[in-house]
Amino acid sequence: MRLKELIEQPCGLKYMLDNLDVHSGYSRRVLLDTEMPKDILSIENNYKILKEFYDVVKEQKNQSQINSLQFKLCNLKEIQGTINHLKNKYVLDDIELFEVKHLAMLSIDIQQIMNKLQLDDMIFIPNLEEVVSILDPDGMKIASFYIYDSYSEKLSELRRKMKVKEDFDEALFNEASGIEDEIRAKISMQLSKYADELEAAQKSLSFIDLNLAKAYQMIKYNLCFPNIADDGVTEYEGMFHPEVKDALEQRNRAFQPVDIAFWNKPTLITGANMGGKTVVLKTLTLCQYLFQFGFGIPAKKAKVDVKDEIYFCIGDEQSIEKGLSSFAAEMKNIDAVIKASRGKRKILALIDEPARTTNPKEGTALVSALVKVLEVENVSLVMTTHYDIEPTDSRRLRVKGFEDGKMNYELVEVKDGEVPHEALNIAESLGIDGEWIAEAREILIMSKSTQLETLSKTIGLDPKGANSTPLKEKGVEG
Amino acid sequence: MPFIEELIKYKSCSIVGLAKNTGKTVSLNYVLDRLPLDKMRIAVSSIGIDGETTDQVTRTAKPEITLREGTFFATSEKHYLQRKLVSELVEVSDENTSLGRIVTAKALSSGKILLSGPSSNLGLRRWKKSIEKYNIDLILIDGALSRMSLASPATSESMILSTGAAYSANINTLVQKTAFVVDLINLDLTSEDNILRFNDINNGVWAVDDEDQLHDLQVTSSLSTNINTEGIGHCKTLYLSGALTDTFLNHIRGKRVFKGTEIVVTDFTKIFLTPILYKGFVNGGGKITVMMKSKLIAVTVNPTAPNGMVLDSEKLCKTMSEAIQFPVYDLKKCD
Repeated sequence: MRLKELIEQPCGLKYMLDNLDVHSGYSRRVLLDTEMPKDILSIENNYKILKEFYDVVKEQKNQSQINSLQFKLCNLKEIQGTINHLKNKYVLDDIELFEVKHLAMLSIDIQQIMNKLQLDDMIFIPNLEEVVSILDPDGMKIASFYIYDSYSEKLSELRRKMKVKEDFDEALFNEASGIEDEIRAKISMQLSKYADELEAAQKSLSFIDLNLAKAYQMIKYNLCFPNIADDGVTEYEGMFHPEVKDALEQRNRAFQPVDIAFWNKPTLITGANMGGKTVVLKTLTLCQYLFQFGFGIPAKKAKVDVKDEIYFCIGDEQSIEKGLSSFAAEMKNIDAVIKASRGKRKILALIDEPARTTNPKEGTALVSALVKVLEVENVSLVMTTHYDIEPTDSRRLRVKGFEDGKMNYELVEVKDGEVPHEALNIAESLGIDGEWIAEAREILIMSKSTQLETLSKTIGLDPKGANSTPLKEKGVEG
Repeated sequence: MPFIEELIKYKSCSIVGLAKNTGKTVSLNYVLDRLPLDKMRIAVSSIGIDGETTDQVTRTAKPEITLREGTFFATSEKHYLQRKLVSELVEVSDENTSLGRIVTAKALSSGKILLSGPSSNLGLRRWKKSIEKYNIDLILIDGALSRMSLASPATSESMILSTGAAYSANINTLVQKTAFVVDLINLDLTSEDNILRFNDINNGVWAVDDEDQLHDLQVTSSLSTNINTEGIGHCKTLYLSGALTDTFLNHIRGKRVFKGTEIVVTDFTKIFLTPILYKGFVNGGGKITVMMKSKLIAVTVNPTAPNGMVLDSEKLCKTMSEAIQFPVYDLKKCD
């Protein structure tokens, strides 16, 4: 998967990319075209380079050098078409020769700044002095270009003659043009040897641009360098979602960071409505992508396990164009996860309230079964749900929920399988009609007693002992 | 050399033709040939294609643009490669046109070139910005067809107006039509206060009443006649951020609330009035002013129409300059 195919995932990745201060449009295209790295080595290496940039960028004394570096990077343009022409040994026209000279001079300038910043051994920039000397025969060090007089004695003589003439002399001009064409052919030939170097230089400059932008983003959003997990456990301390955080801060509210860890044992997040469960999933998705692509991670501390594939299933994508209902769309998405789980690849599956749009009875069954199916070696599953699913081997995390009239978004590990029943309390705090809520409470109490009766009948238990079953009501009494 | 002295006082000048074949290119070549290049740096661009040997629309012969050594110019990639002069490429922009990207170069010999510079107001401004570093003293912009909006004072400080037999074959009609445009170009600037007040308003129609209160008249289109004047006793000034049309003017005329109102438009290119209506309004005491104005430097005439008909040059210049109270030149007859 390339980054540009992931950008529309509703996890906030686009926001991070929009707020990445890249100086050249070409660098942004390079970034979007990047295939997601899946091996520890390249991810490790990317962070090693970024760390060097970060340390340099943080130093106040480097600011003026960095400013001139950024200024230079603004002039970075993609000239792949021209480079391809060189590779195929075409004769370049003046505009293409100008582009080559421009890139070569730019990379020399940038190499010098990188040298001063002691970043030059991080990203290799091929030496293009030769290219410049071919295109700057007078050694003027100006990034403009024409077929200079000094390329040919004859050309320079013809031009002198043309200058003296009062009127435009077509014959002289054509003769000079012929010589210019020969020169173009000759220098294009000389330059074709450097096509690979030019291509590499162009790429390297874009990497510099990207690393610089990533380093600045880390400072701006207070992001951290992650450790790469070797035990399969992903662990975040003080994790936040930059987009949500920014939005809250605009309304003078603070984002409450969350601590969370997960591994290949299914992790279920339960909790009250409005408890930030979906935001947790979004942030986990975002962090995983940022990690794979070598960005700073929005957390105080992070340890992340490398994955081959990431699946983020958020229930409310209705694909009307495809003619699917929200339920059908969701089933198809989850189906893809299950199919993928049967392979060998390491998968992170983040599923938000599966089967929420269907009846609770079947929904509960579907969700319980899903946990069982995805409890395999190569899958790390984090899932939110409101359903009371059967106690399995899975881990349960619960949003702390309402405390003193305020939502506490902290996640705590709980042992039993029961979900919090705070919906009525929350609805009440929202000022929802009292009669409706009271009526709902009645019904709950009634259904609980019927359920207990049925349950005790089926398993032949004394109704008095039923209190210890996972059906006990905790949230309601508050 | 008429009007060159005047022209070099400004940093930019658009050359605008009232119709095709009114001698715009002749005017540009005339100016390019006479500017003191030893004392100043010139850059030239055109809106769209210009300097083509054959007119793209009427298929009549057209002079090419001749540049002298040292002149900076903007053109498209395609036309750059067809140039007939020695030039040094200094800039390749990201702006794509159907003829390739816009490039900027400096002429190292004199010679001929097809100009095809940035064709939008925004592109033009971007280009002007990109050549700032070459310390250009005067930018000349050759307008294409009669796209007057691109000669707006927002893009150039001064202008040269080209008119001629191609615009109208009858001297009297030609003079009247040209005089009307000249009238619009020469409209007075509105007061400092008004400029400050309206400067940041980008849409709608706004009224200032006698108590100096600003009201939004909630007009959504210059063609709409739905004007909300509720709560306004008398409107002292009316500001139109968009076009001033016949429909609009007819609608407000004769309304007591708009008696003696000063109408302010951003610049003359926003006025789309028929001469009769405009005259009637102004003669009846109406006042139209502008937020920005460019200085009219010269009016040039081409007495030859593409169909071969030739007007009496001397008579044309004389009648015209009497009517507009401004010198008029037939450049083919000038030194």
